[in-house]
Parts: sequence; structure tokens; C-alpha cells
Amino acid sequence: MQNAKDSFYMALRTRLVATNPERTILLRGTVRPGILVEEAEAPFSQLPNDVFVLRWLGLGADMDLGSTMTAEECEIVYQTCGTQSFGGLDRGRLLSEMDEELVGMLAPFYTPKVNYTTTPPSAMLTQVFWDEPGFGAVVVQRDRLSRSAKVMVYSYQEQGE
Amino acid sequence: MGTNWFSAPAPVTRRVRGYFAPVNRSAQSPVLFDAAEQGGFTLDSPPAPWVSLGWIQEFTRKTTSKASSVLTGIPAATLEQVRETLEAQVSLQFLSWTKLTMALATGSQHMNLLAPASGATAAADGAQAIAAVTPQSGSTATSIVLSSEDAARFTPGSIISVDADYSGQTGFVGVPVSGAYVRQALTDVDYIRRVTFNVALVSGVSSAGLALAEPLPGGAPAPGAKVQAVTGFVDREGGSFYQEWSALFVMEGSQGERMFFHYPRLQTLCGAEEVAVPLDNKNKGGQARVLLKGQYLALPVTDPLDGERVLCYRSFLPSPHALV
Repeated sequence: MQNAKDSFYMALRTRLVATNPERTILLRGTVRPGILVEEAEAPFSQLPNDVFVLRWLGLGADMDLGSTMTAEECEIVYQTCGTQSFGGLDRGRLLSEMDEELVGMLAPFYTPKVNYTTTPPSAMLTQVFWDEPGFGAVVVQRDRLSRSAKVMVYSYQEQGE
Repeated sequence: MGTNWFSAPAPVTRRVRGYFAPVNRSAQSPVLFDAAEQGGFTLDSPPAPWVSLGWIQEFTRKTTSKASSVLTGIPAATLEQVRETLEAQVSLQFLSWTKLTMALATGSQHMNLLAPASGATAAADGAQAIAAVTPQSGSTATSIVLSSEDAARFTPGSIISVDADYSGQTGFVGVPVSGAYVRQALTDVDYIRRVTFNVALVSGVSSAGLALAEPLPGGAPAPGAKVQAVTGFVDREGGSFYQEWSALFVMEGSQGERMFFHYPRLQTLCGAEEVAVPLDNKNKGGQARVLLKGQYLALPVTDPLDGERVLCYRSFLPSPHALV
């Protein structure tokens, strides 16, 4: 299951770089694309603005198939306060930009499954695939706008997993 | 050199893509699809002469072929089965309204509403049209060369119909798709351009002619073809003509596998019908998307491989590395 989670994250990260290379985050002293997996970072007291945060939630498995299928729910959380140069008045526009980027990142709705624990990463036999996102309502917290979208990510367990 | 494999469960798909190819009605010759040779095509650019119909939904197919038993013995038991009738039906909903999808989802001729001449008497399927203009040499499927005077009659964003003058012939008319069957000679010189599928959107106009946003289905204008402006489309409930087409439906699975349903000959089964789907399920009385509904009867072809008469070919290209 970890390979599917890693592949989903890497697919979105690669697509974000192609869509908006300007969206970056300085994390642990390194400038990275503006998308991260919450459980793979030190706990945040406050989620960072203007980046996509992937949070893994529910899990299901169908073991009555030739290969076990797993379904993992991923919540993608993002928020913005707008920019200082506009006094935050552009926060709605920036949230819309992130909405559009997320829609773009999720298409096409599949990516090859890759084992990123090997060096170099090794391609596996199946593909990870997912559904359309379910967008939640905007949450307003003072000058901060945030939204989350939930995606069900499916994959097949392969030999050795 | 070896390879790994996995046991692939039943395919998981999201949508169905439809493709059209014209049947040569005079020769009763359909277009055949070879999944082995052509099955890997990019869904957005099918191999010629297939034309995309876009995504479709509610794709269902059912066999209505009937079999009967040859009984023997006392008490009687089935010795053999024989196929008495061969019949299959397909139904679907198109997710877009185009000339092609409208024409395939109507029961009879589908006509282009030619731009009317000034002061022409109104008619339900289009008044007397503005006179057609003649393309000049050098025209292609995506650009029509015209004299500057003729080009000035068109505007960007208009639709054009390109086909020959009607000159009294009977039988199937229209290139590359037979848009109608003329039983007795007519008097309308524009009739073929009214029923032709050879239409396209004009993206630009210059003194040299018209640039088209999409290629004409029939390719470069044939000698004798003329161009007329189209304002829209019209079809009728009734009439005696049946649209017939070669159909290909593709389902792409989550693991890259593909299922193809190829009907060499499909004919319209019902009249025009629409389905309204609410955009918001919580507000069923609100905005609704209107989809074209198509229902078809599959007609047989004789497979040259073994002389069997068949209605449909279902092909499956497994995903790479899947056990078969």
C-alpha cells in the first residue's frame, strides 16, 4: 500500500511542477515543489500556506479478487492568506488558482505504480488509479481561506508487497 | 530474459468513448476495425477514417438473438441448439451535440439549415438559401480558397457546408457520408448541401478564403463541390431514411487494458429522443443537461474468415504483464 501512496504523491508532485513551477516551499532547508505528505513530515502546529498537504485517511481492501484491491482515501488540504502586496485581498483568487491546479494535477486519473524505496526507483506492474475529487466548502478563519478535497485512490497489491 | 506478471481482476473503467466511420451505403460496405493493428491508438486521435463522437454514457448492448432446441427422445431432451434469428441492440447517450451526434441520434435525415436568401419564404427545414460559392484550386480539408468577393460573405465563427450541387440524381447522396436517399428527382439545387455531413466551423476569414477550425470530414473539396453558410441543424420525426454507420466503442481499464465493441453496421432504431439530467441532484427542477439518446439495431456482416454472419466484434487487449 505504501508504494501506491508514494506513487500518487509523486505523480501529483510531478504534475504540479509542470503546471506551476513557482509553487514551492522551503522545508528542512530545501526548496521543494509546493506539495507534501503530512505523515512524512514533522508535525505542524499550523499547516503551511499556499502548498498542498496530502493526508491519508480511510482504508479498505477487497480480497476476493485475483489480486487484492485496496482503496485509500486521501484528503488534500490547502489554504492561503493572499499576498502581502495586495493586503490579502487576493486570497479568493489564490484559492481559486489552487483549486484549478489541483484539478489539473489529478488528471489523468492514473499513474504507474513505482517502488520508491529502491535506488533507482523501480517500476512495478500495475497502475494506481483514482476517482474525481470531492471538494469541501471553503473554511474562513480570519484572513485565511482553506479548502480540502477528498480522493479515493485504488491500487492492486503485487507479489512481494 | 524473464518477466513478472500479476493476476488482473475484472477491468475497472470510468467512461466509454464512441467513434464513427461511414458505411458506403451503395456498396453496403462498412469500415472494419482491427484491434490487433489499430488498438493502441490515442483516444483523442483515432485512425482514419474513424471520427470521435466524444464520451458517451449509459452505453448498453443486448443481444436479442433467438435460439431454439432440437429435441430428441422420450421424454424429449435437447440434442442440439440452433440459432433462429440474429439480432442485437445498442443504446447510449451522447455527451455532446455536434452535427455527427445529432445525425446519429435521429431517426431519419439530418439536415443543415442553410443561411436563407434575403426575403426567402420561411420553410420548416430551411428556406431558399443564399447562392453557393465555388472553392478554388488549392483548397484543403482545413482551408477553402475563395475569391475575395466570395470570402467576404462569410464571417469567423460561421459554419459551412461543402458538397456538390444536386442535379436530379436518385439514390444515396452526400460525401463522405450518405446523408439521405433520394427516391425521386427533386428541384432543390442545394439539397445535397442540406443533408451532407461535410460541415466545419470557420475560424478565420481573409481575402484569400476561409480557415477552418476542424478538418472537413470529406477532406479537400471534391471537384464540383460548392460552399454555403449554415446557421444550424434540423431533423424530423418521420421520413423513410435510416442512418447507418460503422461504430466503435472503447472502454479503457485502470491498468491500461482496453475493451473494444465494434459494430460494423448500426442503424437507427428509434426517432429522436433526449434525456434531461439535472446538474444538481438536490435540485431536480433546476438546470439540466440535455443529452441525445441513441438506440440502434445491429445489422450483420459476413466475416471473410469463415463466412459466418456476425453483428459485433468484442476485442480485449489485456494490460501489460497480466495473466491471461
